[in-house]
Amino acid sequence: MSASGRTRRAAVPLARRRFLAGVAAGAAALTAGGCARGTSTSAQPGTTSISNDNATWDDGYRAAGHELKKITGYALRPLSNPSVTSYQQVVQMTLQTSKASDLVKWASGYQLKRLARAGGLTDLSPVWQRYAAKGWVRGTSREAVSYRGKAYGIPLYESYYVLFYSKPVFAKLGLSAPSSWDGLLHCAEVLKRNKVTPFLASQVGGWPAIEWFQELVSKVDPHFYQRLVAGQASYTDAPARQAMDIWHDFMRKGWMTSPDFDQARGPGALKEGTVGMFLHGTWQASGMSAAGMEPGTEYGAFILPTVRAATPKSVIAESGVFVVPGRASSHDAAMANVAAWLDPSVQRVWSDFLQDSSANPKVRSSNPVVAGLQRDVARNHRLALVRYWESGPPSLIQGNTNDLGGFMAGQTSPATTLRRMQERAGDEWAAWKRDEA
Amino acid sequence: MSTYTTGRRPPGTTGTPPAPRRTTPRSPREHTRATVRQRLTAGGFMAPAVLLVTLFLLAPFVWTVYRSFFSDTRTAPFSWFENYSLFASDPALSRSIQNTLMWVVGTVALPFVLGLAIACMTNSGRFSRLARLCVVLPYALSGSAVAVVWNFMLTTDGAVNQVLTGVGLDSLAQGWLLTWPGNTVVMIVANAWQATGVAVILFLVGLQSIPPETLEAGSLDGASGWQQFRHIVLPQLRPVSIIVIGMSLVNGLKSFDLIWVLTQGGPGRATETLAVSMYNETFLELRPGAGAAIAVVLTVIVLAASWLYLRRQLDVKGV
Repeated sequence: MSASGRTRRAAVPLARRRFLAGVAAGAAALTAGGCARGTSTSAQPGTTSISNDNATWDDGYRAAGHELKKITGYALRPLSNPSVTSYQQVVQMTLQTSKASDLVKWASGYQLKRLARAGGLTDLSPVWQRYAAKGWVRGTSREAVSYRGKAYGIPLYESYYVLFYSKPVFAKLGLSAPSSWDGLLHCAEVLKRNKVTPFLASQVGGWPAIEWFQELVSKVDPHFYQRLVAGQASYTDAPARQAMDIWHDFMRKGWMTSPDFDQARGPGALKEGTVGMFLHGTWQASGMSAAGMEPGTEYGAFILPTVRAATPKSVIAESGVFVVPGRASSHDAAMANVAAWLDPSVQRVWSDFLQDSSANPKVRSSNPVVAGLQRDVARNHRLALVRYWESGPPSLIQGNTNDLGGFMAGQTSPATTLRRMQERAGDEWAAWKRDEA
Repeated sequence: MSTYTTGRRPPGTTGTPPAPRRTTPRSPREHTRATVRQRLTAGGFMAPAVLLVTLFLLAPFVWTVYRSFFSDTRTAPFSWFENYSLFASDPALSRSIQNTLMWVVGTVALPFVLGLAIACMTNSGRFSRLARLCVVLPYALSGSAVAVVWNFMLTTDGAVNQVLTGVGLDSLAQGWLLTWPGNTVVMIVANAWQATGVAVILFLVGLQSIPPETLEAGSLDGASGWQQFRHIVLPQLRPVSIIVIGMSLVNGLKSFDLIWVLTQGGPGRATETLAVSMYNETFLELRPGAGAAIAVVLTVIVLAASWLYLRRQLDVKGV
């Protein structure tokens, strides 16, 4: 009995009600907080947010944003999601909401076409025209960023697929960068004889499985590669079979790393001398520096020679793009920044950070290895070919990439792999064209 | 939930009829009002849970079933059971079903047998606590962390092959994660390494709840160690066994994280289970209709397996 005359027991329901009311209020507050707009993509004065899937580039965006701010008044605020798969899902979902970032890094080609087809992107054709008038973009790149005649992307970078190699290891074994197919085979034989795995090949993470396929097919016949990725040639045709046979032969000879070799270890493996050549995009140059290798003295790079000397020279090119969501929080600021992105002052900083070639052909890479490759591409009038990953309907590419991964693990023969790829190509191209119609 | 009729019993009266709280009889109108109020109160307490389950579980499930009947082209027309026919025509999905069955068998058998054996061995003894801790510790790790550790061991140039090469067993070194069915088997073993911990804990609880008198009686009757285990211990562990097998069954059917981190279902979709295939079709191959069909099939299998198993094992008391 309390002093007031009430029993203690009588106070219990009240306490419980208070408790429940407190819990309900807390839940309501949490719900309200959860529904509230996050601050990450909301408009922040003097900046534009940029979604990207490579957290190691954040410092580069900030440095380039510093230059952009001098021109437009807006810096770059990177928002990174390092998992490519979840990044793609998040971007596709947020494009339909009011939480879209101001700028989004995306792949070119059919990856971009699919995104543009779903709606929600800003037409950047006027920006592209201004760039083209100044000579700050390559005209040949426009198709890779366009959908139904409108440009939806501005090139973020331009990389070439090349073979990195360790100069000290090559020098020790009396080798030099090969300029012919026979020279390449000689290098591989010597490396193998000296217990160095000649080539890095991987399917860890899925997409790397395309690297050797696109490289070998294009070096057998670049025009066939163009027809193949456009759905106008068959995967079971002779050039594709020849490329797969070469690849299969390399694997049988033990010239390639195990397919579960993680590419992230590539620069380290080159430096240690356990792997001789590393096929990858030139954007890997920054990874080489991170591994403590100096360009030109400790590592070099060359474009894979053609299988026959008479075959036209080509290079696989990869170009990421910026897109501007129609519902970007700071749409005007985002448009101002994409309009100034390819300005040489900005590209100088960006290219220096990446140690890669800029999408602006007037900006030379400060990395001597990449600059040498740029000269090679220009001097030999190499045909720039779109990377396989962006070259066709995403469902087709994803499925074929899985098949190539299976081939690398020895699950299927070259012929079976190509047959499956062709069957999928028939279905997926038909589906894509039906959708377009 | 306490009510006026069941929730205010004094201690020690469990099982006896509840004492009426009011001595004065209530009028029928009062009685009806009280009943309605009770129902409203009960409904009010249940409403949040019902609402949440409906919103976040039932509604998405109904939507998933609905979506599975539409094709994956841009206009997504109604296509009846076309997505379900992939199970017959797509070799990747056939392999996925095979893998799922392997996972179910592996995740039920290994943790059960190992858990029971380790629990029996560490129930008493000098270093039992330490041994128990060593076995239970992996259970505290996340699936992703376990996968990272096993990845370090199982890659072609990983720890396992280096040890084999180091001791002169080069011929046994291989790409553990590259060839089927070996890659699925090693991932099941990795999963068992982690999942055995919880089975051990549950079996230990079961072992410690066995009355020692029953074992003493068996001993006095001349039963050997094995006979005591077979006829006295094992029957009394039945409730725990039901829980361990039931949990393992569902875990096997929904296995995802370990596979995703170790192989992403590859190479060439060789290690996919239905859960991984569902993710792969929906988010990587961009076929939400096919992904929805796999989700529906997986849900039906999980529900059917759980129902069939629990229906046989649980009696009306729930044990």
